[in-house]
Amino acid sequence: MPDLVDVLAAVRRGMIPAHIYNDAEIFALERERIFGRSWIFVGHESEVPLDGDYVVRRVLDDSFVIARDSKGEIRAMFTMCLHRGMQVCRAEMGNASNFRCPYHGWSYRNDGRILGLPFHQEAYGGEQGFKKRGQTLLPAPSLASYNGLIFISLDANAEPLEDYLGDFRFYLDYYSRQSSAGLEVRGPQRWRINANWKIGAENFAGDMYHTPQTHTSVVEIGLFREPKAEKRKDGATYWAGVGGGTTYKLPPGDFRERMRYVGYTDDMIARIEQIWSSDQQKLVGGDGFMISAASCFPNMSLVHNWPKVEDGDGVLPFISLRTWQPIDEHETEVYSWFAVDAAAPEEYKKKSYKAYLMCFGSTGMFEQDDVENWVSLTNTAAGSMARRLQLNSRMGLLEDDTPVGKRLPPNEFHGPGVAQVGYNEANQRALLRLWADQVERPVEASATVAVGTCADGIEPLVQTASLPVTDRARV
Amino acid sequence: MTAPQHDRGAGFRRFGRGETYSEQSVLGDHAARDRRVGSTLPFSDERHLRAHQFLVDEAYLLDAQAYDEWLDLFTDDVHYVMPVRVSTALGTGYDSSPGMAHFDENKYSLGRRVARFRTEHAWTEDPPSRLRHYITNVRTLATPKDDHLIVDSAELLFRSRGDVNEAATVSCGREDLLRREGDRWKIARRTIFIDESVIRMQNLAIFL
Repeated sequence: MPDLVDVLAAVRRGMIPAHIYNDAEIFALERERIFGRSWIFVGHESEVPLDGDYVVRRVLDDSFVIARDSKGEIRAMFTMCLHRGMQVCRAEMGNASNFRCPYHGWSYRNDGRILGLPFHQEAYGGEQGFKKRGQTLLPAPSLASYNGLIFISLDANAEPLEDYLGDFRFYLDYYSRQSSAGLEVRGPQRWRINANWKIGAENFAGDMYHTPQTHTSVVEIGLFREPKAEKRKDGATYWAGVGGGTTYKLPPGDFRERMRYVGYTDDMIARIEQIWSSDQQKLVGGDGFMISAASCFPNMSLVHNWPKVEDGDGVLPFISLRTWQPIDEHETEVYSWFAVDAAAPEEYKKKSYKAYLMCFGSTGMFEQDDVENWVSLTNTAAGSMARRLQLNSRMGLLEDDTPVGKRLPPNEFHGPGVAQVGYNEANQRALLRLWADQVERPVEASATVAVGTCADGIEPLVQTASLPVTDRARV
Repeated sequence: MTAPQHDRGAGFRRFGRGETYSEQSVLGDHAARDRRVGSTLPFSDERHLRAHQFLVDEAYLLDAQAYDEWLDLFTDDVHYVMPVRVSTALGTGYDSSPGMAHFDENKYSLGRRVARFRTEHAWTEDPPSRLRHYITNVRTLATPKDDHLIVDSAELLFRSRGDVNEAATVSCGREDLLRREGDRWKIARRTIFIDESVIRMQNLAIFL
């Protein structure tokens, strides 16, 4: 690998050494320094609506059972039996009050505590030999949720999720807080692509420039009217802390008219007015920007678009959440969820789901063409020539770093962070600057936990934005 | 294809009372409900021969990406559904992700997908994949109606793109409800039952 100092310096100038998209040594650093301590999105509380419900989610190679116990508390537990290390849960989802290891029969409650182990007295001499009382599966080092979105950090000393998300919460709310009922999340669809994980995260963060070219076909077939080249560049990009995204400029109108333009129903708009802050409403109603794609460092992305799903002129929005979970430097597992406000009318939920399926996910017509590009990029980044090439990611900057476009003043863009209108790569640079800052910083050694150090039981999930999460839809 | 029963009182009662995946899916309300009766028809039965030939001819259209002709094989009320499979413990009572699918299509959305391939800008298939849809284990069953047949099949799709990456495969089982319309048979309901919970293909810009 070329000298890391040079690589990071180039990245910070917006000149991206092409090999970072397919480099085993870079990935080893990412594994340790990014995925070893960032907050990683793993799912939503509405995926485990009932007591006993669980899903299993990974952070790279580490697999966690995310379970709701009999008191409704949610925990995330490393799925490795304390005895010989067998996975205690091999399903992807289900409902269970306890998990029994198939190897020697140790069993654990869904709050992580050991329930029993065969022949405790005869084999271990009872509590004197092995203190099972208070022993638990290893908890996720840090676990918290925001608007029901569950995040895990492998760093036990991670800063609070709320602080990590910071100003990006303002934008996260558009996707995950449309009523006091909270979000209903379904899925995920999962599939693997031969592409580096960073490419998708950068694309969703700020690549308005690709939309008219890559997604020409979806405009041509009448699926989505917005991405015509001349229209897309009127949108603004914004970056706030650990995340940023793109917007579309809406036709003239007030808040309600503009929400109706993208297809929200009047009852949904009324609930949204109750829950979005004045500035959140002004960004849409006054400034005329509607959120579209976004990314939150390192590998979570979000989408909100409003396609046409049946004959006629009507459109309606859908929301999708996703993670780009790296397998290695050239393969990524995509987890893509559909999300909808739990209080939305049933008919709206169905059509919104249809909109999602037609546009994004494993079969989505937007997504199909994106991945083709990213796979090709990743292949090309593997060779020695890619080590000689720095990709120009400086769109929106003159040679002396003067911005090409105007930064939007607060009275023209009511969200936090930095925003500007037009094509630029400011967000991709912002994301990769965070990447460089993390890749540069060594991790502190994590403590080895011997059996017996979790005697007080596992702390349940910390809610950082309290919203009642309603049950997931039962069709 | 009949879904597992969901008789657990507590926990995951996330499916409706429908007995086919099509009925359980979010967008399957309009789908035909016809179900199989009796056992597999003899392989010499005229109905089986017709159904088998139908599937083989269809596979050649899919290999050739002759999607306009392919779309014409479906009834106007078609439901084309491919659930998201999940690994669940034995006896859980369900094996697909509640409220989510890969495909949950009607004629309109299938038509949009076909129309997209007709544009010159569906980059994921330019250059086109080399496709081979292997159809096997075909068996045919009667329904209470003479003009409806159920056909089960196994399918393996081999998809090769470009000259760099390895080819990808998808293995699935299918249940089709065939309906006679005039002198033609058409697909009124297709359930695609993929054998992986994590798909090892870059996208499903293909049909199964």
